[in-house]
Amino acid sequence: MEANPISVILVNSDSKGDRLLFRFPYAADSRHTGENCQQIRRRNPYAVTVTEDLLQTQPAQTSNIQQGRLTGFTDEVLSTLFAVKPELCERKFELKVNDVRFVGHPIQLPATSQSRSSLGGASGSKPDTPSHTTLINMVFALHATASHSIVKCYYDLSKRLGVALRHEEKRCSYVTQETKIMITAHDEFSTRQSECNIYGAESAFDLILHRSSLAKQLKGVFQDLIQTGLIKLRINNWLQVSFCLPQKVHQVHFHLKNFIIEPEAIDRCLQSLRPYHGLLLLVEPSELLESLPPDASPALVRLVQIHSPLKSLQTLSADADLTLAQVFQLTGHLVYWAKATIIYPLCESNVYVIAPDAPTDLGSPLVERFSEQFPGLCLFQTMSEFSQPTSIGQKVSPLLGSQALTQLIRTVVWMLRHRLLLQLHTYVYFMATSRWPHQEGSLPAGGEGSFHSTPEEQLSLGPTGTWSAGHARSDSDASSISDDIAVLRAEKQFQHRGSHHHQSAVLNSLSPNLDDGSTDGDKGNGLIPEELLADFSEAERVSILKIPAATNSDDLALLAKLYRSGYLRGQHHLEEIMYLENLRRSQLLQLLDKFRDVLVTCETEDPAIAIFYSHS
Amino acid sequence: MTDKDRFYEGCGREGPIRCIFLSVFHPTAGPKIVCQVPYNYISKDTFESVSVYIIPKAQLQRSMLTVTVLGFKILGFPVKIDDKKYARNAYYFNLCFVCDAWARTVQYESVVRKFSDYLVAMEVESSFLSLQQDHSSENARLPKMLRQVMQDLNSHKMCTLTEGTMTTHFKVVRILQDPPPVLDHHVPIFTESPDLFQAEQWDLTTQKVLPYIDGFNHVAKIAAEADVENNLVKACLQNLVYYGVVSMIHIFQYSNVYATTPKIRKLAEDRRLQDECVRYVARCARQPPTFRDVFRVFCSMTRGTTVRDLCIRLSPHTLRINERKLVQFGLLEGFIRRIHKFPVGNVEKPDLQPTAPQSFNGLLSMDEYCCQYSLTTQKLEELIDREPNIMVIWK
Repeated sequence: MEANPISVILVNSDSKGDRLLFRFPYAADSRHTGENCQQIRRRNPYAVTVTEDLLQTQPAQTSNIQQGRLTGFTDEVLSTLFAVKPELCERKFELKVNDVRFVGHPIQLPATSQSRSSLGGASGSKPDTPSHTTLINMVFALHATASHSIVKCYYDLSKRLGVALRHEEKRCSYVTQETKIMITAHDEFSTRQSECNIYGAESAFDLILHRSSLAKQLKGVFQDLIQTGLIKLRINNWLQVSFCLPQKVHQVHFHLKNFIIEPEAIDRCLQSLRPYHGLLLLVEPSELLESLPPDASPALVRLVQIHSPLKSLQTLSADADLTLAQVFQLTGHLVYWAKATIIYPLCESNVYVIAPDAPTDLGSPLVERFSEQFPGLCLFQTMSEFSQPTSIGQKVSPLLGSQALTQLIRTVVWMLRHRLLLQLHTYVYFMATSRWPHQEGSLPAGGEGSFHSTPEEQLSLGPTGTWSAGHARSDSDASSISDDIAVLRAEKQFQHRGSHHHQSAVLNSLSPNLDDGSTDGDKGNGLIPEELLADFSEAERVSILKIPAATNSDDLALLAKLYRSGYLRGQHHLEEIMYLENLRRSQLLQLLDKFRDVLVTCETEDPAIAIFYSHS
Repeated sequence: MTDKDRFYEGCGREGPIRCIFLSVFHPTAGPKIVCQVPYNYISKDTFESVSVYIIPKAQLQRSMLTVTVLGFKILGFPVKIDDKKYARNAYYFNLCFVCDAWARTVQYESVVRKFSDYLVAMEVESSFLSLQQDHSSENARLPKMLRQVMQDLNSHKMCTLTEGTMTTHFKVVRILQDPPPVLDHHVPIFTESPDLFQAEQWDLTTQKVLPYIDGFNHVAKIAAEADVENNLVKACLQNLVYYGVVSMIHIFQYSNVYATTPKIRKLAEDRRLQDECVRYVARCARQPPTFRDVFRVFCSMTRGTTVRDLCIRLSPHTLRINERKLVQFGLLEGFIRRIHKFPVGNVEKPDLQPTAPQSFNGLLSMDEYCCQYSLTTQKLEELIDREPNIMVIWK
């Protein structure tokens, strides 16, 4: 809504003065709106009008938008506002009137060029004087509440169109011709209007729209901005101008009414792009290839042709024979234009849940589209299977035929495309001891003892009741039980993970190949643990050495290495550590299991990808 | 960070007023600046290129105009006073605030408008503006007035002007987005200590409601206990949310499910936040829990794990953690997010006298159905479990 333009206005100014050439949409009664709405906006009719009260004679205007249309401005007012002084040309022009913001990029055209070129190219031009230049300003009227990035995009659009017009003016004085058509239509209309309404045209703009190709294109621009946010046109059938309003494109694509993806957020996402990320096309590749202009980069075509959601960008670059930097750039391009999104390549260890902004509305258009795509399946049924974090590996069983497996992957890809699923990653934090060693020391004896000895503490728990069963046990031997459960759970979790790691040989081949090169764990072989643990604090060292696995210097070396590289601070997920350190998942999981007493794991989404989801 | 990184167009920051000037339409010389503080901040050339937006056509009188050009952002409210005594039967003037081009300026709009109205009144009463030919002279009243307004607004965000018998007050009010509507099952919680703001300032309803805000009472309960009409409570809570005094969370239940968000890493890095967190979630202040335990409990929150499961598994009681306060803290700081359950589908054999919802369109969460039909979560869950056609989506 906010990203939609209210109006597009074309103004020119030359030695004969300024003139509003065209505006779209044009109200049928545009000639009177100015006066009318002043009268319409009467205050309360029952209010006592104090005639002497000068302050009240002219009520302040507060809004210039009526039912989504621009009101309160006559054409003359608009043309004086936008026919800017020469010193304001060739730079951003921004004016806010009440709740409407106008943005444009006024450009200057050498007015004399037309007469010269029509004379067959005359001698060198004289130095420009203001009287010899024509000004063209294409202004978009927006809601004043529209964010700055939206305003910036519209400015960019105005500039692009302006530059294209200037080029066409130089090449074949296109603007002069179109201006003449529009002015003639205005004049014709004002002279004949007194006689009768001719041509069935209700205003001069009808005539202009009928005769001028530039006006038609402006109308097209306005309509495209509202419908799709994508503009592809040829000025004068010659110069291609393409433009994308990212805020709108992403909104249209995902049916999200109140969620706007800012281009800055896309930039941030692209900056955190890594070679292990993957690319997921949001449209069918054939459809995308068809929509590309004939002079599109062959690299892009190649990338789209070999694209697969199972491949990482690195693999894509190898397969398409492009440099990684080039693949990154093409990816950025596709993401900006809402043709693709960033994912972690599909593999059997990926864990997915339902995205927080996924529509659960029974009437959502996605429901129908899903059952069209996958006959016999219900979208909500499929979605609810991901209510709890579920990996693809968990859903794959040896009994599942290859057809069912393809179906499964297709449904997951479909849901990822529509941003119904969100991938969870595991982050690891190194947290050995508390930050209060003196308290930690007193904990076993004093800390828990005091709990047992304060009766009101125990009493206060009674009424809550909900977990009395579990609590009764924990009261007797609280610490050991809670520890046991934690251990059990962790073990179970890892067994679980481990099991689906082996289960599906089918998917194994599809998983992003992160190489099995051995780590340099044996480097630490000869070292004594104390030297390995130089990076840790005294208290941390003590708690590490308490762990049985610490006797294995390979394991300890790996832990120390990960700690030193800063991977255990929750900034890197397992897949990233695997990629950066050339480790296998199983190696990492074993390490996490062995040192679970000093490591805390946490499952959340990748913040780089999360910007595409609202509520994140 | 340099200024250039911080202050760019669109950074969304509010900026100070750099200059205030009064421009009038001179009967022979046209638009000109008659008084400017500080002097010559807007040069004559700059003014000339934008004068069409300062003294505009009649149609745009009494409109709020903001023009951003040449690195300045100029806010004005052009005014015209009709009277036979003036040279052209009318006196045009515009009082403008100038800010940097990067600054957000909506908050000044009402001040500019009010200041203009004040000057109109002064002009009508005593020809304050038009009589004095040279406003830039030493003893002129206007430059002093403009300087005072600029200084006071920049430093205190408010200003009181007194000229003769007329007094007016200006205040710069932050303009924020409207807060989302408050629902029955929401729970208000103070984001800052209630002692920090004076309760006497609030209206009577708010004063009645404030004592019941403890982070655990939900809106419907507060309405009942404070004996205030439900919608009034909602309106006043929404107002408190707008001013950032109160934040809305959900009813704490042991059947609730929470999940960590990427913001949790902030907690792992920020020592001060950790201290604050440990103090907040402690069962008793004398013996705070260890941060590691607190963090472990946060990290164990995933979809599918209810608070009840967590309590059984980790026993926060023995870890000296108050799980209710832990959830509160996590929600306030955004480390965790509530995972809602959305039932979708229809009941097989609808009751004729529905005491429970018969069809679920997927737009309302379990909480909302519970509130609407005064059911317990347990009852509703049982009902949904019995129905094969109803799916539950967690998100």
